[in-house]
Amino acid sequence: MGEFTAGRKAVSFGSLIIGLILMIYGLGTAIAKTGNNLRGAEILIGAVLFFAGLYLFPTLKYHRTIVNIIFLFPLLFAFAVTVIIPLVLGIGYSFTDWDGIRIKGFVGFDNYIRMFKQPGFIWSILITFLFVFFNIILVNLVAFLLALLCTSRIKGLGFFRAAYFLPNLIGGIVLGYIWQFIFSSVITKFTSAFWDMRYSMLSDTKTAFVGIVIVYIWQYAGYIMLIYITGLNTIPEDVLEASSIDGAGAAQTLFNIKIPMLAPTITICTFLTLTSAFKQFDVNLALTNGTGSVADFMGNYLTNGTEMLALNIYSTAVINNEYALGEAKAVLFFIILAIVSIVQVRISNKREVEM
Amino acid sequence: MSLSACGQAAAPAAAGSDSSETAEAAEEKSSEEASAEGTATGDGIRLLNGKPEIDSQLQELAKLYNEETGYVLNVETIGGDSSAADELKKMYQADNMPDIFVIEANQADTWDGMLADLAGEEWTDKTGFELVNSSMGTIGFPYTVEATALGYNADVLNAAGIDPSTLTSPGAYADAFKTLDDKKGELGITAVLGWCAEPANLGWSSGTHVFGQYLDAGLKADDTTYIDLLNDGGKVDEARMKSFAEFIGLMNQYSDPELLVDGTYDQQVAGFKEGKYAFITQGNWCVTSPDDVSFECGFAPYAFEDGIDTIIAGPPSYWVAYSEGNVDEAKEFFNWCAGKSAQDILVNKAGLVSPFDDCEFEAVNPFYKSMKSYIDAGKYSGWHTMLKKDGLQNVTCQVFADYAQGKLDAASFASTMAQVIQSYYAN
Repeated sequence: MGEFTAGRKAVSFGSLIIGLILMIYGLGTAIAKTGNNLRGAEILIGAVLFFAGLYLFPTLKYHRTIVNIIFLFPLLFAFAVTVIIPLVLGIGYSFTDWDGIRIKGFVGFDNYIRMFKQPGFIWSILITFLFVFFNIILVNLVAFLLALLCTSRIKGLGFFRAAYFLPNLIGGIVLGYIWQFIFSSVITKFTSAFWDMRYSMLSDTKTAFVGIVIVYIWQYAGYIMLIYITGLNTIPEDVLEASSIDGAGAAQTLFNIKIPMLAPTITICTFLTLTSAFKQFDVNLALTNGTGSVADFMGNYLTNGTEMLALNIYSTAVINNEYALGEAKAVLFFIILAIVSIVQVRISNKREVEM
Repeated sequence: MSLSACGQAAAPAAAGSDSSETAEAAEEKSSEEASAEGTATGDGIRLLNGKPEIDSQLQELAKLYNEETGYVLNVETIGGDSSAADELKKMYQADNMPDIFVIEANQADTWDGMLADLAGEEWTDKTGFELVNSSMGTIGFPYTVEATALGYNADVLNAAGIDPSTLTSPGAYADAFKTLDDKKGELGITAVLGWCAEPANLGWSSGTHVFGQYLDAGLKADDTTYIDLLNDGGKVDEARMKSFAEFIGLMNQYSDPELLVDGTYDQQVAGFKEGKYAFITQGNWCVTSPDDVSFECGFAPYAFEDGIDTIIAGPPSYWVAYSEGNVDEAKEFFNWCAGKSAQDILVNKAGLVSPFDDCEFEAVNPFYKSMKSYIDAGKYSGWHTMLKKDGLQNVTCQVFADYAQGKLDAASFASTMAQVIQSYYAN
């Protein structure tokens, strides 16, 4: 420490201390709501002073680390503010009786116990898994077939690629309303003419579920298709050429060369479809709003036949005004998603290595 | 908040010169507020409105308020009442609460201890529709009265020889519906009823409004028998629910099949306005201007039991003053708002029905005459359906939908209704 001047030390410690004091004061007055109009400026100047002091900190050994921290800080700060703090707060809220406005008391695990006593919630978990299962298979299948089509030698490739991708650019809510019209006004015209189905397929739980799956595939397959196209284009020409010289047919090329070489792409795509299907919300909200009846589930008549997890959480908190219960469900949702994602990535990585 | 100093000066300045007295009064008021620890937002007071359809009229109201009194009122509009409630929570967390905001009756408890008691204000003497809460006192300013029952097309009923005043029993309805159905071609109607039980978008209509008839039809406005029973763990009166179920069955039978299961609100209202239906299961909000219809409109009761002769009428939502906000200016505004010039805008331009006894303006709403006759005769019931547990409508609306589709009959409708309600309250 001997090589630093007393002046630099004074400036460093001085700015560190003044910076800290300013920030704490600014934050304190903001939390205490004293109407301090300069609090924003105080926090900002405090932060700048603090980092200046940190940068000038009289050390050689840790200087590089300090610089790293300063450069990483904006990112870490944003990550903390938008992800970590809400997550921690959310978990905290789930143990209270928060109604969106105030916390009257802590209730321990009551919310967690309560949610498992709701047959409607159990049903939501089940159909979410069912939805994810259908979607992983169907979206990837459809997307892969579209990708094969769009990498073949047909005319108007650009048009097809754009056309298949287009639905992905339309927001889920708008899509939901468009398809609601199609299901209840257009399709019923045909079903009532040819079969005796007078009512929209959205009015019955089973067919409404199929409806959501269809719309979701329509929306998402184009996006996944683009990733498969990129994957197919990265397969080296010489490998394909060599196989064709060896006399491999189209099917052999597809199953023995293209698909194995696409393994990393398939991993990415299943991962994307898995998580996004789990988080399905907007199409669900706009298309059926979770309606649909189930005559007998765990001895109850259910009225939320097509309500998936994300929508169930939203309705619990916002519509039913049970914010804390909604938080508890959201924590469970987070845990499920985290486990499923980790397992899925592990399995896929292993398979890639084997292939 | 930070701008309080300059805003205080601006408010009286904007008053203009037409009434120096009020401007002065406003100035005094403002300086009082300024000293009261920054509770006054310098830009005047803020009102959070939940009815997007009257936004422009409320802006006009704010302008007139400023011209007449010198006070500044800022109107912010959020679509739909439930989303206003959601928005308010965000505003509360962000410490950005408006001074006046809209609530439905059952939301009062959420704001327990945070709403100003408006008892003793001048306007409270002129109406019986204010919202009174057991712990906070008189908290809600009624800005409109809405009614719901079976809306009818008087011309069609007349042509079919049906006197709407006789529709006070299920038997009378069965006969009337049958007569209308038989004469459909002659009367030029598509169906007897425009009743839609579609749950995803119209769940509020069946789950809250039509269900509300089970709770209130035939009862005095302050009679809370069935809502108390409901809120006591989700209990349902079996006999009453059975008669209600029979009546809904009658409605399902005679409603336009195109509308009943898959319809939309727009389709329903358009059909009624075009004269395609003799009855509609909405309220006075569905036809707001006399230009919309070429016939006379009226309300008939949901007479699912003999002798039911009331419609549901009252304020569906209220304006309340946030107790930490600028309560004095909010009270000032409410008093002004109950007065003539404000009522002129609310009644004549926004098409609302005034809750105030001394209001001299006849509402332009085509249903107004009928509504008024019920209210004057004391034949109106309360909007107690707004006091049911939050979100119950999303459960009950599905049962209405299943009944409409024929998945349930009257008996299973009643028992399923009882079961889903009970389980909703239990969990």
